[in-house]
Amino acid sequence: MRRALVVTALAALALPTSAFAHASIQRASPGFAQRLSSSPRQVVISFDQSVDALPKAIVVLTPDGKNVAGTPRALSAKREIVAPLPRLPKGAYTVRWQALSNDGHIVSGVYTFGVRVPAPPVTDAVGAQGPTRIEDIVRWLYFLGLALAVGGVGFRLLVMREAPPARPQRRFFWVTGIGIVGVLEAGIAAFLLRGEDALQLPFSRFLYGDLSPLAQGTRFGQTFVVMELGFALFAALLYLAWLLERDSFLWAAFVLGLVFVSGLSLSGHSAADAGHSWVSELADWVHLSAATLWVGGLVQLALVVWPSWPELRATAFRRFSRVATVLVALLLCAGTYLSVLRLPHVHDLWTTGYGHVLLLKLGLVCLALGWGAAHHFLAVPRIERPGVTGTLARTLVGESAVAMAVLLMAAVLTDSKPPPQQPAAKAPVAVSARR
Amino acid sequence: MIVAGIEPKAEMVHWWFATGILILGLLLVAEVVVGPEVWGRRPWRRYLWPGLCFLLGVLMWPVMALYTNSMIHMVAHGSWAQVLMLTGGAELGVVRGKLHSQYWRLTSVVALLVSGTAFLVHEQNGWYFARAAFLHHALGWTLIVAAVFPLAQAVRPRSVVAASGFALTFLVIAVLLFCDRDSAAIFGHFSTFAGVPHR
Repeated sequence: MRRALVVTALAALALPTSAFAHASIQRASPGFAQRLSSSPRQVVISFDQSVDALPKAIVVLTPDGKNVAGTPRALSAKREIVAPLPRLPKGAYTVRWQALSNDGHIVSGVYTFGVRVPAPPVTDAVGAQGPTRIEDIVRWLYFLGLALAVGGVGFRLLVMREAPPARPQRRFFWVTGIGIVGVLEAGIAAFLLRGEDALQLPFSRFLYGDLSPLAQGTRFGQTFVVMELGFALFAALLYLAWLLERDSFLWAAFVLGLVFVSGLSLSGHSAADAGHSWVSELADWVHLSAATLWVGGLVQLALVVWPSWPELRATAFRRFSRVATVLVALLLCAGTYLSVLRLPHVHDLWTTGYGHVLLLKLGLVCLALGWGAAHHFLAVPRIERPGVTGTLARTLVGESAVAMAVLLMAAVLTDSKPPPQQPAAKAPVAVSARR
Repeated sequence: MIVAGIEPKAEMVHWWFATGILILGLLLVAEVVVGPEVWGRRPWRRYLWPGLCFLLGVLMWPVMALYTNSMIHMVAHGSWAQVLMLTGGAELGVVRGKLHSQYWRLTSVVALLVSGTAFLVHEQNGWYFARAAFLHHALGWTLIVAAVFPLAQAVRPRSVVAASGFALTFLVIAVLLFCDRDSAAIFGHFSTFAGVPHR
């Protein structure tokens, strides 16, 4: 009887009626990112609750920014807004919509469709300006977070193999914890910044902006969703490793981290630009993973082992030197392949903006490699000598700083467009303002 | 469209979390009723509410990532995910003996303040606009005012009043969450702008 009561109560709790929410799109015609074979007669947006049609409730923009939609009106118990369209010529179109929700808030959104051409991603909607410097910084913080979290855990498992005493253990979890929080926060910030750019709304209206076409209809958005979930799980595993003092959770977090790092490779240039293939995606993943492990390892060496575990300094330094050699080799091979793929002509290096940033990044990589080589060939044989470890503490911080600067250049490159490889682009792009 | 077809209705998710919060509150009430000594005779019992709190935080991440039809809701869900994990994690650390200071209880203060603020910020209508607005305000202010209980517990860990207040807060929150219904009237229609109830 008691069990039946509990089951009945839980079943009742799981069957709600309805909750508070603003009006949301249930259906749109043409749909998000839909490619149509002929011109649509109208745009219809259906909501889950009644809405009022505002002036310019639906605007349909051609690539040159001209509105072709007629006067919109509300239909079907005010749950639909409809705007008539003239016969549309072949091309890509941007739909910007807004409606007064039943709860008094103005909800807004944007999406794209194509008539006899593929629809551009919503990030390329008419009016969107593309990534800004703030997005570069946020992406850099994201890379740094990945390095601290995934690279830090990798270092702990591959280099700092002995069970650490309390102090370095605590420091390790602080550094990786800051890293994973950075990944989660920077991920949200990057998504919102991209959404703000696509929606082109004042802040008060952006609060109720519909980001679902970005989250569900673009590689960037899908990557955001998957990576946020993956790294939230990573955070939980890292926490359990700390709480229960079990390395098995760290191994699970490490594997998960490396798997989810691939989200960036599956959504960036290597997966979307001309010449992409599974090889370019794999190379990008290897490049990113190796960089993450290398930078994260350097930071762990400088901030965890050196100040809090003097007994392990020499051993950890030698081990990391060996691991770093492999990582740097992978980094260089994958990086060279990707550079050739994106800039097939050598003169692209000094004639394009993308090439300039790549040159700067290469310069910093050379500096970091030289620094690492000095550590490997000069410091490792002398590490047992008195006074060397004190100098190494400073040089390790220096090498870490240069490696972080490399990540900044990588962030700028990720947000930049490589030069086109064909004289005429086949896919139409609705926005022309690109760096 | 990676989430098309797998995304449950928003109201379902609200109620699932209300159920979780209700169980959380009942566990805390049970501990207050029998006293911490009796409650702690079975060591696993001490892990129950912090563990559930942490789990609710982890489960809030899919809500944040999958419900992107409003920026402000996304940010609110993200903040709840983080503070639930923070509070549950800190309490688990104390129970496990990994954390020793009683001031870790202050993470609950932070969690309640952040959660309450998130409720208030993402409802911009007045109290009596509609039931949803009323509940948002009620939830927000309940959470903010209730922050005084974990604050008192940090200073006086054995205070029954503080422990009872903290436990009852979750029951109140659960009841308010179960009452939610978007633009239904609350105490009749106070505002003509609220529109007709729907769905």
